[in-house]
Amino acid sequence: MTGEGIIELVDVRKTFRDFWLRPTVNAVDGLSLSVRRGEVFGLLGPNGSGKSTTIKMILGLLEPSAGKVELFGLSPRSVEARRRLGYLPELSYLHPFLTAKETLGYYAGLCGIPRAESRDRTRQLLDMVGLADVSSRPVGGFSKGMARRVALAASLVGRPELLVLDEPTSGLDPISTKEVKTLVKALAKGGMTILTTSHLLADAEDICDRVMILNHGKSVAEGKVGELGTSLEEFFLAKVGDADSFKLAPFLSQSEATTTRSENEEAARDNRD
Amino acid sequence: MRKLLEITGIELKALVRSHTVAMLVFASVAWMVVFPHIAKGDGTAEGVRELAIHYSLGGVFALLVISLLASATGSIAKERTARRLQLTMVRPVRYFVIALGKMAAHVVVGAVVLALSCAVLAFRAELGRPCNHVLKPVMPSPQEEAKTMYAAYMADTNTPVAVRHARKSVVLRLLANRAVDRYETIPPGTVTTWTFRGDEEGALEGMSGLAVRMRFTNQFEMRQDVRGVFSFGSLGASVSNITQAVLTMPLRPVEKGDGGAAAAERGAGELSFANHGKTALMLRPRRDIELLLPADAFWCNLLRAYAEMVSVLALVIAFGVVLSAGLGRPVALFVAFVALTVGEMSPSVIEQYPDELETKLVDRVGLAITRFAADVTSPVSSLSPLERLAKDECVEPHETVRLAVSNLVVLPALLSLLAAFVLPRKQDEGQ
Repeated sequence: MTGEGIIELVDVRKTFRDFWLRPTVNAVDGLSLSVRRGEVFGLLGPNGSGKSTTIKMILGLLEPSAGKVELFGLSPRSVEARRRLGYLPELSYLHPFLTAKETLGYYAGLCGIPRAESRDRTRQLLDMVGLADVSSRPVGGFSKGMARRVALAASLVGRPELLVLDEPTSGLDPISTKEVKTLVKALAKGGMTILTTSHLLADAEDICDRVMILNHGKSVAEGKVGELGTSLEEFFLAKVGDADSFKLAPFLSQSEATTTRSENEEAARDNRD
Repeated sequence: MRKLLEITGIELKALVRSHTVAMLVFASVAWMVVFPHIAKGDGTAEGVRELAIHYSLGGVFALLVISLLASATGSIAKERTARRLQLTMVRPVRYFVIALGKMAAHVVVGAVVLALSCAVLAFRAELGRPCNHVLKPVMPSPQEEAKTMYAAYMADTNTPVAVRHARKSVVLRLLANRAVDRYETIPPGTVTTWTFRGDEEGALEGMSGLAVRMRFTNQFEMRQDVRGVFSFGSLGASVSNITQAVLTMPLRPVEKGDGGAAAAERGAGELSFANHGKTALMLRPRRDIELLLPADAFWCNLLRAYAEMVSVLALVIAFGVVLSAGLGRPVALFVAFVALTVGEMSPSVIEQYPDELETKLVDRVGLAITRFAADVTSPVSSLSPLERLAKDECVEPHETVRLAVSNLVVLPALLSLLAAFVLPRKQDEGQ
């Protein structure tokens, strides 16, 4: 880890507006963060906390309403910054009519990789994600897990310096999840900077060096995973709380009452008989 | 370039694998083959040509304009809806390349389908049939003529007050429209002259195979006998007992005794008509008189018409892709077809309702909007390569080159820059 800032966010805000430009949601509110070269940084938070919005601003897909976002010291929308970037979205979003090989070849072409090198790289990556045997099948017929693996390979095809993973283990079975985590660790060991989001705190605990917890678009905690002094899950619950979680109590009590009533009615029927 | 080819390639694969191309090829070729057999012409050779060219190839062209415009309006919008666009946008590729790639793929499909249709037409057409350049008489422009007429109106004390108080630009536009359709009368026993100028000064009279085409009428707008003599340098043609609405007369060398002296009196490029009939004849010099110069063969003309049609398709597709970059698919589709309809209809609306001295505000606003739409869409709507092909009129090479440069290169490039400007903003809004 050299300490050089790869991602810099300074007091970033994002407000979504409706057709009449009236503000509807403050998705990110005064967020500042810095991700250094070679670290695996986890962006955690409950649903609607602003993780995906933050990632999209880092990728240049969204323009911040205020504040500064820099990638490699450049604007995220600059071609130079995008040349050094790999992205795995939350869902795979592949072209269904392309084969796995064509998909990787297409993204390699967009990254400007020469054809011969692109062929080798495609073969190597498909082998790595275990899809070499089905490389000529259209990805539209793939299972969710297989499509996820193609998307992961596609994110790596341009040999990125920064890999942004949005829920990388979503849709994967336990074995594939373990393999992805092993891969992320290996990539980080090789010097790649990784920014990831995850709902699965155990996964984040396994792979992240440092995490930031977001709630309502604001950073509520940030720190190294090894220095939390408790498990990530306990730390997370302590910071976020359950204010926005399901309101189960009334439902459960109603359900309990219904069950008790039917049990009583059944017992009464038995007594009559 | 590699990135452009990648995006073009993937869009082409999408069009091929979704069977869009197969459907277009099948529909177009079937239309080209079947339509001339099931449609009834007027029995003349011209009618058959009109059916084969204007309606068959024109039908395919209309099909391509509609289907490729519809497809282009979805090209970026559907990618955005399926969230695939963001995967392309995070790659090191400039946004205008994304738009250009989508345009290029659709243009390739259009060009291929149109080429197949032209091949079907060429298979049954007379490929060596000659076509003609069409020259119009040299006259002041309608706008210049309008200015002269306006000055005369203002000097005339009988001019109505309403016209005097009307806006000058409005009156000038009305007068310019009138100048285009202004009739000229040729009384019996008189000679009227028009001047023609070719590419090279004075070279017209020396050419062989010249012909003159005229459309005469009289004050009752009825067909009647036309009698007279056309003279053009040492060439001439006699007309008698002709009742066709349109006369096409080949000009042939005349004996010196017949018109040599008169020819010497005429200036270079002057065509005269001596009315030997009993009644006055009328024609609109800007519309009804043309000199036909021999050009090349039908197949050359077909190639140029093909190039013009592809260039029009390219512009329509580029427009569709820009809409797709900035709007959702249903809205883009709606806007595209409204624009297409308005663009197609506005010239005839303006022709039928030319009077800008309407007193109602709503009528004036309506006409202003229609005129604006006609001006904006004129690069597409004013073209008539198939009409010229059917009439054996040369699709002029310089015009084809100009259209190819503007519609295939310059305008799509500008529109792709516009799409690149809009694309990230729409992406931002669409989250």
